[in-house]
Amino acid sequence: MSRVADSLFWMSRYIERTDGILRMLKINYASSQDNTSEFGWKPVLNTFSFLDQPTVAQIEMDSRSVLQFMVIDKDNPNSVVNMVTRSRENARSVQDHITKEVWQCLNEFYHLVRDEKLSWSLKNEDPITVLDALIRQAMLYYGTTEVTMSRGEGMCFMSIGRYLERAIQATDILKVKFKDLSADAEKMADPSYWKYFLMSISGYELYLKNYRSGFEAKNILDQVIFNISFPRSVHYSVYQAQRYFDRLKSERNRDSFDKVNFMIGKLRSNIKFSNVDSIIQDGLPNYLDKISLELFSVGSALNQHYFAYS
Amino acid sequence: MNSFSIFEGYPVSPGTWDEMYAAGKVRSPYQGIYEFLQSIPLEELNRKEELAKRLFMSQGITFTVYSSGEGIEKIFPFDIIPRIVTAAEWDSIEKGITQRLKALNLFLKDIYHDQFIIKDGVVPADLIYSCPHYIREMQGVNVPHDIYVHIAGIDLIRDHDGTFYILEDNLRTPSGVSYMIENREITKRIFPDLIPQNNVRPVTQYPNILHKNLVSLSPRKISNPTVVVLTPGMYNSAYFEHSTLARLMGVELVEGRDLLVDNHCVFMKTTNGLQQVDVIYRRVDDDYLDPLVFNPASELGVSGILSAYRKGNVAIVNAIGNGVADDKAIYVYVPEMIRYYLNEEPLLKNVPTFQLKNKDESKHVLDNIQKMVVKKTNGSGGYGMLMGHAATDEEIFDYKKEILKDPRQFIAQPVISLSSAPCYINGKMQPRRLDLRPFALCGPSGIEIVPGGLTRVALKEGSLVVNSSQGGGSKDTWVLSA
Repeated sequence: MSRVADSLFWMSRYIERTDGILRMLKINYASSQDNTSEFGWKPVLNTFSFLDQPTVAQIEMDSRSVLQFMVIDKDNPNSVVNMVTRSRENARSVQDHITKEVWQCLNEFYHLVRDEKLSWSLKNEDPITVLDALIRQAMLYYGTTEVTMSRGEGMCFMSIGRYLERAIQATDILKVKFKDLSADAEKMADPSYWKYFLMSISGYELYLKNYRSGFEAKNILDQVIFNISFPRSVHYSVYQAQRYFDRLKSERNRDSFDKVNFMIGKLRSNIKFSNVDSIIQDGLPNYLDKISLELFSVGSALNQHYFAYS
Repeated sequence: MNSFSIFEGYPVSPGTWDEMYAAGKVRSPYQGIYEFLQSIPLEELNRKEELAKRLFMSQGITFTVYSSGEGIEKIFPFDIIPRIVTAAEWDSIEKGITQRLKALNLFLKDIYHDQFIIKDGVVPADLIYSCPHYIREMQGVNVPHDIYVHIAGIDLIRDHDGTFYILEDNLRTPSGVSYMIENREITKRIFPDLIPQNNVRPVTQYPNILHKNLVSLSPRKISNPTVVVLTPGMYNSAYFEHSTLARLMGVELVEGRDLLVDNHCVFMKTTNGLQQVDVIYRRVDDDYLDPLVFNPASELGVSGILSAYRKGNVAIVNAIGNGVADDKAIYVYVPEMIRYYLNEEPLLKNVPTFQLKNKDESKHVLDNIQKMVVKKTNGSGGYGMLMGHAATDEEIFDYKKEILKDPRQFIAQPVISLSSAPCYINGKMQPRRLDLRPFALCGPSGIEIVPGGLTRVALKEGSLVVNSSQGGGSKDTWVLSA
């Protein structure tokens, strides 16, 4: 059913975004405690919220306010509490298509993030303990789906949602990080800037192993866009989305499949046959914008051909 | 403010420099943390202590103690109250250690080459040759960039007037740096926002600097040389540190059995065949490094590694044979070395030290043994020490017999009181003695000392021994920016 596919897709996307935001918040908070020069929350707010610049400027130096805004503020459409709620709403309507364990897990997540003790701790105690507890709940979701869900169409839509979201996030983060930089050559040379960035996308250890020559913008782009063994790279995410989409192939839906398949395939080739040098030559912002646009059109094509049930 | 103060009745022992209190008043660098501690209820402090313990356990930050043939995982005791070093104090420490390390590197190069310092009669030859850590095989070997000491953990203590003294130079495989890094991570968790509020300088860059230095030592001039950390294995008490450093640098952690030497080059056995190794940061002692040359029973080392090193095909960090420079009998001569090689006055003082091999000094020590600390010249970890003021007559008698057997093996120092700082013990602030071990990194581009270090505390009341094997713990060390 289209409605079911739609719900599963979004249930999964919201958790993926939640996980991405939580990790970003955790590492940024940790770096705010390190007293490194000119720490600010601007890049995070610009990536994950719709705040206007004056408002961003108002709270960007205040870790506690940002954390509350991003995690428990019900007026922020992109706050963790709202995303978990939405994921749970989606799950609720398709309870017969997900396992009892998955539903229970999302339910617990929902109650955890709305717990008053948790918001008190976020305000007054160690925020990392709070963020860790939330991240653990997201990990529980991933593990539970992996272990209990049947490998049918439903699981395919969930996976496509997850990886599409991940690719979008990676692109958005790069856009903000590198835009921030073009204005500031000093940051470009600051190792701790890159270190925390890589840590926030769980890519620091991989980077150290792969690139021996310290932190260079080029290598970072290479890892986050192209590295197929980095589970948060754009390439890996698109590749996984394509893999799961492939399984949806059927005679009954030939036309729809071909249309979306063409778009994903084109996007993947576009990434596969570029490299850091070629994208820098073409202009990084252009390239990232193009990738974003293609990712979004894959999303809307899915919506049009698979989820549209009105 | 609370009606009950956790600092109430905090006893500053007379004749001791307390880091937090001066004449009953809180020193200004401690004012911030003092006020914070006054403002929170006792239960919260207890909760923080619990959290710290839990974090150490869950992150596996443990060391192994061997007793009755069994290794037991333990947490290195951590006191939650940070120790503060002011910008001015740090400046003098930094300059002093840099100077000392420069001289020690020149000394090692000299000893293993021309030995001018012996010929000029500054250091007696017999002292060098009788040192068990003098490695004859290193004579005439050129090491990359003439750096012998790449990583030094020089211990500092403070006397009753607050003056810093060098207690010992650890130039072989100093450990504890992972605690410098992890203690800071834990403090971030238990005292949110206190670090930025107090303008504490960060320490997280340590592994990056170390890695940069290691890469720059590669004998092969290639863009991505293979750097490894060599550990004695997971049963070593510092294994956590070895694996942490390898992880933070993104390099392979190897054991002796993972390496082999072929045609005077060192290789690592991988699933894709042999891979040449360029730089080895070893945490295995000289004695165990190469069974062909040193201890033949060693299974921790690699046969033939010394020949590869002598040929210049692999860099070994720290260099082999450094023990001749951090021997406690040589320690006495370090101020002379500084004058001899650098033509400078030492910035940081040595603790006055008596050599028991000299008759006069020996007599003085034995007559005043109650006021002395006697140590083995090649000992470490607080083992084999005699604390004169605390020892029984019987212990002194036995120890004297040991000394007379081989006086070269012993030195003595007057008991230095060591500075104290408040520790949170059993729900109260109590003064405990401490030292400071900053970690200095020496690379081709110079000496860098990460602003921080390991502060070790003697957790037993009245104790002056800070070693972890003797009931010592540690504190996070805050170096403030100016």
